[in-house]
Amino acid sequence: MATNFFENQDRARKKTGLLVFFFGAAVIAILATLYAFAVFVVGFQGQDPSTGAMRWNLDWWSPELLSQVVLFTLLIVGGGSLYKIAQLRGGGSAVAEGLGGRLLHANTVDPNERKLLNVVEEMAIASGTATPPVYLLDGEAGINAFAAGFTPNDAAIGVTRGCAEGLTRDELQGVIAHEFSHILSGDMRLNLRLIGVIHGILIIGILGYWLLRSAAWSGAGHRRGGRDNSGAVLLAVGFGLMVIGFLGTFFGNLIKASVSRQREFFADASAVQFTRNPDGIAGALKKIGGLAAGSRIEHPSAPEASHMFFGRALPSLFSTHPPLEERIRRLDPSFDQQLAESAAEPAAAGAVSGFAAGSLGAAVDQIGEATPAHVDQAARLISSLPAAITEAAHETWGARAVIYALLFASEQSVRRNQFDWLERYADDGVLEESERLFPMVSRLTATQRLTLIDLVIPALRELSLPQYHAFKDNVGALIAADRKIDVFEWTLQRILLQHLAPAFEPVRPSRVRFRSLERVAPACAVVLSTLAWAGARTRTAAETAFAHGAHELELSDLRLLEPEQSGLDDLDGALVVLDGLAPLRKRDLLHACAVAVGADHEIADREAELVRATADSLGCPMPPLLAGQSLV
Amino acid sequence: MITGLVLLGIVLALVAFVVGIYNKLVTYSNRYKNAFAQIEVQLKRRHDLIPNLVETAKGYMAHERETLDAVISARNQASAGLERAAGDPTNADAVKGLGNAEGALSGAVGRLFAVMEAYPDLKANQNMMQLSEELTSTENKVSFARQAFNDAVTAYNIYRQSFPTVALAGMFGHPSDATLLEFDSEAIAEAPKVSF
Repeated sequence: MATNFFENQDRARKKTGLLVFFFGAAVIAILATLYAFAVFVVGFQGQDPSTGAMRWNLDWWSPELLSQVVLFTLLIVGGGSLYKIAQLRGGGSAVAEGLGGRLLHANTVDPNERKLLNVVEEMAIASGTATPPVYLLDGEAGINAFAAGFTPNDAAIGVTRGCAEGLTRDELQGVIAHEFSHILSGDMRLNLRLIGVIHGILIIGILGYWLLRSAAWSGAGHRRGGRDNSGAVLLAVGFGLMVIGFLGTFFGNLIKASVSRQREFFADASAVQFTRNPDGIAGALKKIGGLAAGSRIEHPSAPEASHMFFGRALPSLFSTHPPLEERIRRLDPSFDQQLAESAAEPAAAGAVSGFAAGSLGAAVDQIGEATPAHVDQAARLISSLPAAITEAAHETWGARAVIYALLFASEQSVRRNQFDWLERYADDGVLEESERLFPMVSRLTATQRLTLIDLVIPALRELSLPQYHAFKDNVGALIAADRKIDVFEWTLQRILLQHLAPAFEPVRPSRVRFRSLERVAPACAVVLSTLAWAGARTRTAAETAFAHGAHELELSDLRLLEPEQSGLDDLDGALVVLDGLAPLRKRDLLHACAVAVGADHEIADREAELVRATADSLGCPMPPLLAGQSLV
Repeated sequence: MITGLVLLGIVLALVAFVVGIYNKLVTYSNRYKNAFAQIEVQLKRRHDLIPNLVETAKGYMAHERETLDAVISARNQASAGLERAAGDPTNADAVKGLGNAEGALSGAVGRLFAVMEAYPDLKANQNMMQLSEELTSTENKVSFARQAFNDAVTAYNIYRQSFPTVALAGMFGHPSDATLLEFDSEAIAEAPKVSF
């Protein structure tokens, strides 16, 4: 398979190692140059008054000077990087706003914006992630796009005005699929770190520029003072730092190019695989080639973010992107017969996997990728929802009503309590809207319900902070109305919080803490037990399901927990721990989940929901089961 | 030299701190401008509905010309006010003007509904029922979006007025508080209550 989510994540992490190596090399090179430079500055004794010749007293080995230079550099580079990284904690939205992006509202009436949002929505449902917020870069006439964020949960997509207006739907779909490949492959996280690191390296040059300017200022004031060296030294230091800054830029570009170029080919190939349409993305690339503005980004923050973009944002010696012609050639066989094979291969592979997908296990294999079959199905799923529901889901006011309606109980008495609560605590008219939607919502299938949750996220992200808290409280109250939490309620709350929290609360991006499953065996037991009990009518059935899963994990002394020890709140706790697993181990775990669920050859709605929420909580977007996909 | 480095460290920390303030101001102001876009969508929808409403009412209440004209002129003023405020949500006058115009519009629509009580045929008109239902729900959406906007404005203002931001905000292009969008109280009391 051309794409594998987990291997990519793993590779992205290894690339991080490479990044650290380059960064270290850059810092050492900067240190050495700075040190040599400092030796000259300190060694300069002034001019000989009689001959006018420079007098030097160069001391090449001075531990004191060296330690000062090291301290200085680390302070500046480290400080600059850390500051930028802290600033990027806001995730994809922070980056998009930093580049001048304007958030598109889900209920926009502008036809181009609508088209763009629809394409993003389909791609999101097809790949099993919640719809990311989309930002339009109004000021950019070139054709370009980017995806930014730490995880699929806080990802944002940015698109230039030229891209939204100049491309056909197919071409736009190709570009968006390319960006989704970045979201799904873990590239984005690396990209964000890269911004931070490069900022740190570039800051030395910026500092030099400041010094130069202030030296020019003070120089003007001191001119009458005669033989005052301090102005000249400041000038020299500023100039030197600027030169070293160019060195930093050089390394910055080298790092960006080394990490970025190969992945662009890869994302192009994935885009073809997602859409089965090489013409779309190739058409977009050709349009870039034919446009005067090309893919250029004018925003002043572009230099530190150029590696995130779809096309080359800035001209530079070490390009962040492969040449346009070569990217087109790899996609469009008629462009060059010789390279036809490499482009045709991933496309064909995608088509095969889309139709051969035969089980939930296969769905796990498809985590992090979407096949054309998924994209088609996503479009069908979205259009299968009643228009009144999609319309409500696309605006902040109605989106809450949709969620409330999803949570209404089927028993009249419980529902009356829920209505009372909303009557008292929800805004005017929301209860009526929820009641209006309820009959439609209650007829939806499990797959449609999950799709609906993914659809409402962008609108809900636009709540204000007090509104978000009120909404969260109401959701909690509706769930608690019957004094028990069922699987759908848990899944809904889990997915909602997972995707909304990054927009409203400070959330730490997860990091790898466990490399082997042995160390988290108790948590694995909780997950498998919950799944086993969810699908089993008898104790034996639960034991069989659990044994299948445990066998898959190759953990021999795993025991089925009693239902009391493997409730949904236990699952909550276990998922927090398991989020710290390495990507490839997460795959093993989700595989085991699929096997456990499939052990009895039937998959109940709640089992599918549990697996979906589990995958989602682990940051692994799982595409919806394909229609007609036999369950085992 | 060591003291020099320490000084440099302090200067750098200060710079980072100040840049942080600048960025945060930008984020907060982006947020409330974004929130205004939501109000714009809903108000536009409201302004689009009202001519239809008047058109439908006309056939039944020819004698209430004045009330109907008042609604249309209030609607046109509100529409102009919206355009002005949407062009620049940081402009206090424009936002206040929009608030007043919307208040007046709600008042005029409220009076229209009051007069309508005397025309049972009109109240039973299918089209009219649909329109007023839609108007009520748009009204709810407007008030919700307005609440979100005002929350974002309040957050911005609080941050802007806090120390030490307040000392720098003017220099960074944030010289004054953003304005809350209030539809004046006379209008809220008379918000169109539709009882069918």
